[in-house]
Amino acid sequence: MSGTISFWHAYATDSPEVKTIDEIVIPAFNEQYPDIEVQALAVPYDELRQKLVTAAAGDQLPDLVRADIGWVAELANLGVLVPLSAEMQQFDELASTVYPGPLETNRWAGEYYGLPLSTNTRVMLYSSSLLGEYGLTAPSTMDDMNAMAATLAEDDIFVFADNGAGGWNILPWIWSAGGDITDADVSVASGYINSAASVRGVEALASLYQAGNVPNVILGDSGGLGPWEGLEQRVYATIYDGPWTFAYFGNQYPDFDLTSAPLPSGAGGSISVVGGESIVMTQSSGNKPAAAAFLSHLLSEEVQLEMARVGQIPVLESLGASLVDINPYYEHFVEQLQTARARPATPAWAQIDALLQAEVWKAIRGELTAQEALDRVAEGADALLAEYR
Amino acid sequence: MVESPQIRRWVLATRYILLTVIAAIMVYPFAYMISTSLKTRSLALGSPLDIIPTEPTLQNYVDVFRLADLGRYIANSAFVSVTSTLLIVFLASLMAFAFSRLRFPGRRLLFISLVIGLALPTMMLIIPQFILARDLGLLNSTAGLIPFYVGTALAFHTFLLTGFFSTVPRELEEAMIVDGAGLWRRYWNLIVPLSRPAIATCIIFAFLGTWDEFAWALTTLNDESQRTLPVAIALFRGQYSTDWGMVFAASIIAVLPVIVVYIIFQRQFVAGLTTGGLKQ
Amino acid sequence: MPGFALFVLIMVYPTVQAALISLQKWAPVPGGRSEWIGLDNYLKAFSDPVFLDALVNAGAYTVVTVPLQMSIGLGLALLLDGAMPGRTVYRVLLYLPVVTSWVVVSLLFQYMFQSGPGVANLIVVDVLGLVDAPVPWFLERWTAFIAIGALGVWKGVGWAMIVYLAALTAVPRDQHEAAALDGAGRWGRFVHVALPALRPASIVISILLIIGGFNVFISVLLMTGGGPANATQVPLTYMYQQAFEFLNFGYGSAIAFSLTLVILAISAVQYLATRERKGG
Repeated sequence: MSGTISFWHAYATDSPEVKTIDEIVIPAFNEQYPDIEVQALAVPYDELRQKLVTAAAGDQLPDLVRADIGWVAELANLGVLVPLSAEMQQFDELASTVYPGPLETNRWAGEYYGLPLSTNTRVMLYSSSLLGEYGLTAPSTMDDMNAMAATLAEDDIFVFADNGAGGWNILPWIWSAGGDITDADVSVASGYINSAASVRGVEALASLYQAGNVPNVILGDSGGLGPWEGLEQRVYATIYDGPWTFAYFGNQYPDFDLTSAPLPSGAGGSISVVGGESIVMTQSSGNKPAAAAFLSHLLSEEVQLEMARVGQIPVLESLGASLVDINPYYEHFVEQLQTARARPATPAWAQIDALLQAEVWKAIRGELTAQEALDRVAEGADALLAEYR
Repeated sequence: MVESPQIRRWVLATRYILLTVIAAIMVYPFAYMISTSLKTRSLALGSPLDIIPTEPTLQNYVDVFRLADLGRYIANSAFVSVTSTLLIVFLASLMAFAFSRLRFPGRRLLFISLVIGLALPTMMLIIPQFILARDLGLLNSTAGLIPFYVGTALAFHTFLLTGFFSTVPRELEEAMIVDGAGLWRRYWNLIVPLSRPAIATCIIFAFLGTWDEFAWALTTLNDESQRTLPVAIALFRGQYSTDWGMVFAASIIAVLPVIVVYIIFQRQFVAGLTTGGLKQ
Repeated sequence: MPGFALFVLIMVYPTVQAALISLQKWAPVPGGRSEWIGLDNYLKAFSDPVFLDALVNAGAYTVVTVPLQMSIGLGLALLLDGAMPGRTVYRVLLYLPVVTSWVVVSLLFQYMFQSGPGVANLIVVDVLGLVDAPVPWFLERWTAFIAIGALGVWKGVGWAMIVYLAALTAVPRDQHEAAALDGAGRWGRFVHVALPALRPASIVISILLIIGGFNVFISVLLMTGGGPANATQVPLTYMYQQAFEFLNFGYGSAIAFSLTLVILAISAVQYLATRERKGG
């Protein structure tokens, strides 16, 4: 095989990921395929989506893109992606090695349009010394959390902070309460997002806020103290966040005793939200066999382990056990990933997410009841989902 | 009436005090930027009151050059903005001359389309422009940016210059017409010299606009070697956290040429310059 | 002329394309199925409460920031017009906000207007005593716009200052001298000589700033992202969200043209008003 393939990603220039890709991943690939030149292009994360859409409109997409898992269904719906499950020989083999949860985010209209490349989820993060001062440990249930809120409120410490009320923030509350977003086919939201259990999930957060135990940043107060800073200043007792938080604290606040725990469980268990990126191949790719070879290379144990060293949680089930040796803090993330769920894979998700955020915002403030807010989301989401059926 | 020297001194002192206070407010964020660029490990921004870094270091400046091919990106940006600026000012001044001095068919329609071009958010034109650039073979090259930078900036600069050109007294031009001067001579020997401050203003704005342009360059360039400086700076920002010291260091490097251009051309803003030139 | 040709190619042609897109439920990908829906996108825009609120927000931003930028810019230009030692230094310092990157200044203003003990709260609570408790500026629509507007004015006055400086240069020195001989004081000379001479420049500046005000984008995107719950949405952030997040390009284009229509209507009223004053 020979030729040139282009690959877009969104790692920052000074990131260890770029170094690993340039110095290890691509050279290792060229040992096997010396005649394939891989052109990796970094695009700033905030603008990647705009660039992808414009390039799609102008038929100028690269061969491979590392895209947010939430974009795959949308790009597939535009018709610019190769259905890997139908057209890539190695697909079944590769699909059998990755976690099923992240894999599902690539499914649209019966085919898989990508493969997961890296995964992540949110766990509970806190300072063990701060909780220790109050004789507390990480709350394992929602009842523990509510009890903890009362104790900490006496010293004006907020029990929990988050910086928004979108799907990434609010779905763990809904799922852990036993609620849901849509049916299994992602065709209807009524009866799921506004079910009694979903409503209880939102109410749990809203009542903590209304009792003064959760700060205003959850309403999108962009001038407020962010979750990381508040945690560091010991004003916020717990936050939910991803593995990158450890990289940040290690660099910025090396003396802080950042500790993780699974999310507190409710009636539905301890269910977090899956994040991460997928690799997709474009229809306009001029060299699909070479692109497929590089795609397989990115999912090899060798590359996945190298990327794990710089903070990207691998998607290969076979590597789960060895991750703790690389980074001890991976432990709770791997554990949480066993039950974590992905946001619904639908081209309408960006719009449903915005609607969810706006309505839950009103419920948290107390302008609407949680039931009223989620009824509105259900109505709007049904209409959006119908457009793509 | 002649003011006493005492009053004059008071006026001057008030002037300086006012200017200094306002300048302090205006400069402050820039000072903060410099201060942060001299600190390492600045994923979180320090308090805006800590303006003097305890252990200043130039490490960020070294690192931005080490990690990115900044020299090349600066050269790319310089080539694009200097060429674009020259073209913008030349073409816009000709268009403004036409609008302010000539009667030609379609003048009204063109002027209205110019104002629409001014008011329309260019972000919404990005896909049609991208397809146009593809069909013209102007994607993925720094030189290919130039026609789009010039075309997009023309409306603004023509509008600005038309306003200034219309203040040049008509009598002077009529005198030249009587002398048999053609269009080009009236433009080059009358309007341009009389409008030096306005043209300097356009040069300052056109250079700043093209030097800082980001969205179009990011969208159309796929080859690292063609990249412009603003794109390279944005790539120092991470998805989850950003080393602000490094971003600010690169930003300060990027601001220097803009300030140099400004210093050179603001010299044209000297009161009384035009009339002095006229009388001779 | 080449300028007009380039303008038509780069701006008018894509604008026509975008106008056509605004009449469709447009599929961005070649070969995708687009559907002609006539003026539906426009009808939707003018009955969409988020877009109407966004227009009001941008209108309020414009009404407040434009006069402030113009008056402060003019004041600074007058202070820096005459010969004085250190003039270039002050001119550079006052221009710095114009060239400092939006990313940097948005972050800093967010910091100054933080909900806790920021500079802004220090002023309104402790110094002026206007309110009892710190204000969470970005939590509510209008307090958020105080912060966004403060940034807009701070970054815009240097721009207005330069255009005014260029315009002041055109005020003939002999008119000043004549007025001084007639016994006019500083204020009298300002009102009777400088102000009338600056009229054309003021009209150009005000039109450009009004267009800029309605097109406010990057500061809002960076400081609030249009939130919380769409409270600080402006037409361009909403357009960007519809087009590039929701991929509703037809609707996004319709928002762009609706905004342009509103701006043109305002400009037309302003144009007629100034013409009438001239005539009367």
